[in-house]
Amino acid sequence: MKSSAKILLVLLFGVHLAKVSWGEPVIYRAKKVHATPFLTYEPGEILVENGKIKAIGKSVKKPAKCKTIEWRELEIYPGLISPGSSLGLAEINALRPTRDEREVGSHTPEIEAWVAINPDSELIPVARANGIAHALVVPMGGTISGTSGLIALDGWGVEEMAVKKKVALHLWWPGHGISLPNPTGNSKTKSIDDQAKERKSRIREIDEFFDQAEAYRNAREAKVANFSKIPGWEAMLPVLSRKLPLMIHADDVRQIKAAVEWAIKRDYRYVLSGGRDAWKLADWLAEKKTAVVYRHIFSAPSQRNQPHDRQYRAPAILAKAGVPLSIGLPLGAWSAANQRNLPYHVAQAITYGLPREKALASITLEPAKLMGVDNRLGSLEIGKDATFLSCSGDLFDLRASVKHLILSGREVNMGSRHTRLYERYDNRPVPKLK
Amino acid sequence: MSRWELFIKFALLSSTSILSSMSLSRKTLTLITLAWTMLFITVGARPEFPFPGEKPVGPNLHALVKADIQVDPEHRITKGTLLVRDGVIEKVGKDVKIPAGYRIWDMTGKTIYPGFIDPYLLPDSEDAGLLELKHDEHVHATADLSFHGTPSTRTDSGEKGPGFEVSGVHPERRGINDFQPNDKKWESLRKHGFTTAHLAPSKGIFRGTGPCVLLRTGDPNDLVLKEEVAQVIAFDPVGKEQSPRVYPSSLMGTLAVIRQTFIDTKYAQELILYQKKNPVPVPVVPHAGIRSLQEVLNKKAPFPVWFEPGSCLMESRALSLGKEFGVHPVIIATGDEWRRPDLACSKNHSYVSSLIFPALSKLPDDEDWNQISLDQLRAWDHAPGNPALLAKRTKSLSFTTSGSSLGEFHGNLLQAIGRGLPEEKAIAALTTNPAKICGIDRFAGTIDKGKLANFVVVEGSTYFAKEAKISSTWIQGHPFQYPLNDADKKKGEKDGNATDEKPLNERIAKFPHADRKALESPASVLFTGFKLWTCEKEGILADRDLLVRDGKIVAIGANLKQTIPKDCKLVEGKGMHLTPGIIDCHSHAMILGGVNESTLPSTAMVRISDVVNSESINVERQLAGGVTACNLLHGSANPIGGQNAVIKLRLGASPDAMLMQQAPSGIKFALGENVKQSNWGDKYTTRFPQSRMGVKSFFANRFTAARQYDIRLRQAQEGKGPPLRRNLELEAILEIIRGQRLIHCHSYRQDEILVFLRTMESFGVKIGTLQHVLEGYKVADEIARHGAGASTFSDWWAYKFEVYDAIPYAGAIMHERGCVVSFNSDSPDHARRLNLEAAKAVKYGGLPETEALKFVTLNPAKQLGIDQWVGSLEVGKDADLALWTGNPLDYRSKCEQTWIDGVLYHELNKTREREKRRTKERDTLVAKARSSLNGGKEDKASAKSKEKFFRHCLETACDLFPHSCRTHGHQHQEGSR
Repeated sequence: MKSSAKILLVLLFGVHLAKVSWGEPVIYRAKKVHATPFLTYEPGEILVENGKIKAIGKSVKKPAKCKTIEWRELEIYPGLISPGSSLGLAEINALRPTRDEREVGSHTPEIEAWVAINPDSELIPVARANGIAHALVVPMGGTISGTSGLIALDGWGVEEMAVKKKVALHLWWPGHGISLPNPTGNSKTKSIDDQAKERKSRIREIDEFFDQAEAYRNAREAKVANFSKIPGWEAMLPVLSRKLPLMIHADDVRQIKAAVEWAIKRDYRYVLSGGRDAWKLADWLAEKKTAVVYRHIFSAPSQRNQPHDRQYRAPAILAKAGVPLSIGLPLGAWSAANQRNLPYHVAQAITYGLPREKALASITLEPAKLMGVDNRLGSLEIGKDATFLSCSGDLFDLRASVKHLILSGREVNMGSRHTRLYERYDNRPVPKLK
Repeated sequence: MSRWELFIKFALLSSTSILSSMSLSRKTLTLITLAWTMLFITVGARPEFPFPGEKPVGPNLHALVKADIQVDPEHRITKGTLLVRDGVIEKVGKDVKIPAGYRIWDMTGKTIYPGFIDPYLLPDSEDAGLLELKHDEHVHATADLSFHGTPSTRTDSGEKGPGFEVSGVHPERRGINDFQPNDKKWESLRKHGFTTAHLAPSKGIFRGTGPCVLLRTGDPNDLVLKEEVAQVIAFDPVGKEQSPRVYPSSLMGTLAVIRQTFIDTKYAQELILYQKKNPVPVPVVPHAGIRSLQEVLNKKAPFPVWFEPGSCLMESRALSLGKEFGVHPVIIATGDEWRRPDLACSKNHSYVSSLIFPALSKLPDDEDWNQISLDQLRAWDHAPGNPALLAKRTKSLSFTTSGSSLGEFHGNLLQAIGRGLPEEKAIAALTTNPAKICGIDRFAGTIDKGKLANFVVVEGSTYFAKEAKISSTWIQGHPFQYPLNDADKKKGEKDGNATDEKPLNERIAKFPHADRKALESPASVLFTGFKLWTCEKEGILADRDLLVRDGKIVAIGANLKQTIPKDCKLVEGKGMHLTPGIIDCHSHAMILGGVNESTLPSTAMVRISDVVNSESINVERQLAGGVTACNLLHGSANPIGGQNAVIKLRLGASPDAMLMQQAPSGIKFALGENVKQSNWGDKYTTRFPQSRMGVKSFFANRFTAARQYDIRLRQAQEGKGPPLRRNLELEAILEIIRGQRLIHCHSYRQDEILVFLRTMESFGVKIGTLQHVLEGYKVADEIARHGAGASTFSDWWAYKFEVYDAIPYAGAIMHERGCVVSFNSDSPDHARRLNLEAAKAVKYGGLPETEALKFVTLNPAKQLGIDQWVGSLEVGKDADLALWTGNPLDYRSKCEQTWIDGVLYHELNKTREREKRRTKERDTLVAKARSSLNGGKEDKASAKSKEKFFRHCLETACDLFPHSCRTHGHQHQEGSR
């Protein structure tokens, strides 16, 4: 894009170039303000002071000495929240030295993801350029991989970025597939009965681990003699005391059923993540008030000959049944670089029946709720963080552009490795013929 | 046999081998063998004279009386007599006088059938089953950084001595040399009525030959009926099993090897002829491998060839390969012919099939049935009907016990009959047909005078009853008896009629091709009331109609409605959008048996067109996304990959009929990390090239070699000098130099792109497309000047180091600087929504919508050299169209219809109806399976049959493990670029 075009855009969209110092009151005036998934002001105004929303509405009372930023052609949405990614943990999928999203060990509850965030990861500015303001960073590897943290995609250093260092403990539910020869095919063939037994024993192992954790807590509380603190068990305590939810990763119907029944039996707080086949259990999940982070909109149907749009339609089925629904990308290093496409995964679900408001909620208010930060994030309401984006149109439209991101009242730089390279090479003089 | 006779036999045998080294034709040999066999049978007529201490054997003179004799599949004698003299049938008939001195066998209540012949008995070892081709499954099991290819420049098969240099190509191997009776296995075969078998070789691609033998005990010298039955060629990517992998490790590599081997054989013949006319001091001596294949290619008396293709679609490839080289193979069936009987079966060819049917297992939980796919259930339900289908649609069907469990053979045969296999065809499949294809029909297969006394005696009037029991099996007049115990006798009496009461296991599964086909093919169609995205200078046209006739766009104009013929189909748009069908310039979505031949640095000889998977579910899924054509590419594991195939998604057509005939040939090249094996792990550091410096040299080397080849080719064509060995690798590269083959080059970094442009320019070559070309925006002007197309991703980046500088604005920059740009999928997932990928060209770089849509229509058509026929809405072009409920770049739009060549292949409602039908079919099949399990049927089935139930055949497995070149090895379904 040539710079003259840029000036034109500035004029067209009324982009305000005046700097606003943080803390001072400022009003953002936009064509539309999507304050919550269910409430839109058109036009709309937001009064921001000290990083918080002071007032919001069709028009707000303007305090003295207040600047107004005119986004007359733009729409304001709450900052988007990615409910799970390796952002900041993994840089380049193929390069081991750049990857920190996965640890060895089958039960490592003391692992915390936020500690390994690279604040200067080039992936972070790329994600936030499309309105992703916050991301849950998830540790991987093993059955219990550790605790995820919520980070803001801007800030000086990890401590400033970390919004909530402990969000959920991650439990990866064992596979339930049965096949002859074995599903993995590399070990000795086991009979179906043996495979079924093994399946049950894997669940018993999980139970046993939590039983031991409970025993540890009891011993700790009873102040038994010579009690020694063990980091792994210490990390389990917030789950046992229901302060921290479990995020249980399960895709197959059998996994989901077993996992949810297990969590209910033990009366832990939990969230279901993955949920490829969750649509089959939608009513049951709704009845159990199970929140689901659905991560398979663009996955192929799990079986050949299933309807081609099976996975596109799944979120609508879940939402209709009343399941609290968040939408994310598949987890892992591979999709860290593609977090910016989060709204387009949701867009596909809208086309296949997911109501717009639920769609918007699935990447704003719902993830905020399940991470316990809905007092600050997820919607634009008085007292909440002034974290929002401006968009040239419908956020879900692939042709629309996110123009600004305000994070706790601070305007975030929308530049990235991509815009830098774009500017550099867009301005390359046409080389002379040799 | 006396020592004297043995001597004669040895003399004959050695003379046979002398004769064979004098390159006599096999036919002569066969005659000699036959003559010898007859000789030995007549010689054997004299009773042996036992040495002291040897157990004497009684006279070989038998009269079987009062028997029902099934002389051959069509004829039966009731209460007849069968005379056996010295191992040969002397007489058979109703009123036969029994000469004195014959041992009388009262066969009242019994039936005699010709002895069964197994035409493809594989060695009895774990690793020697029937070939079941698989797709690369290890992508599942490997860690992130590993790669499933294992490189090597080693081509030697590791065998000593002269021969073909490629692994698995050893047509000279003669199983007879290692022949040893397998007493234990043969005993159980005899119990099941088998008297004779072709011991087929089980290893390799060109496997060599095996003998046809009698399945009785004794001196091996007495058992051989025929030393060599056929050259067996299996489509087995044998290099995959070696570590490191060697060529060929993929299915397409295997097919290339077969082709080159036949070509080498022809070349050797030409060279010998040439040297006869133009003597040289040391004339070429063809090695034994060549010599054996020369007999296969001998036009007058070809030595038989049998193909074991290993998958349903490959059976059809075997038939076409046979045609290509003028051989007429016997086909070893897979049991999956029901998937595409129209392609897999041939009325002109004989087939050999196993009798193994998938068997159910009790699944622990109700939910476990959810994991069983419609495809697995169909395979289970179709299996018993497959023999009937084969018998009906092929020249002849023979059964082999290989691959199945002997204990289930008879039961499965009855099931097959229950599903419509006529009894006489079943008899033929066990006797006359295998005799014929093994070339022993002159002395085996029926109970006729003068034939070997090989037969089976069955209790009761028929072998085809559940309780039928074989009481004796006779081989060359030697009886092997299996007397009934009392329990059996009682059972037999009681259940005499019980078989009739058994409910028929009727098939409820549908044939896949029944609803994998065009929905409608009207002679003419008028599209009216649409917004037409012409992808030409006219832009988007409203108020224009588009008329299609005979598959072509014949008119675009206002109010065409008045001029159309009466029977013209009318499609009313009511404001919907009509665009050219989407063209995917980079796809691996419908490729069988491996996307990479990852072993050699140049595999220009392998062809994707050999391994197109017409049965892929991706055809349907992508049609539902408006895709009408795609460029199926080899992977990026080597600098010079294989030849591509441009296909149209004609659902239900054969792989060959999906090929877009007019499309110029092409080939996959690759640069950078993948070809220098950067991310393959620490083991892979020795294949050239390992650096970008080497990549450049590699191309210069192969192109120079191709030029040299060209010079020799011209000389050969002018009749100067000796004949030239056709080299399929260099031939493909030469076609590039001659401008007959387009390069599609996987590339990332600006330097390698630039250097590749210059290297190709130095050979006078214009590149077709640069694929991925993620740093192409840095050298866009140079690419534009060269004239290469740029086929990229909308916004993928950072999955490996060489794509750290990839930006989503690349498409726009390259477009603005004059490159022809397309966005491709490289993943079956993205291919479902390329219209939305195109929308990103509007978002990043601000291109007009009409230009953005061209990124997935006209521009890929230009890049593939097919824009004369497809890619835009223009009179004269193919009617390849996509109908959208709204603006195709708007996420809210769905693809309503997809047309190819004026034929409707996708209509959202009908696609959904089809999917519902399948869901329903699956439900009924699950119900059937579960109810038959309640009958407690499962326990009897063998482990083999139970495993078969869970198996995915090649055509479906390919969909389960999608590939893309983005990375190698990955955590989830998303492929690899």
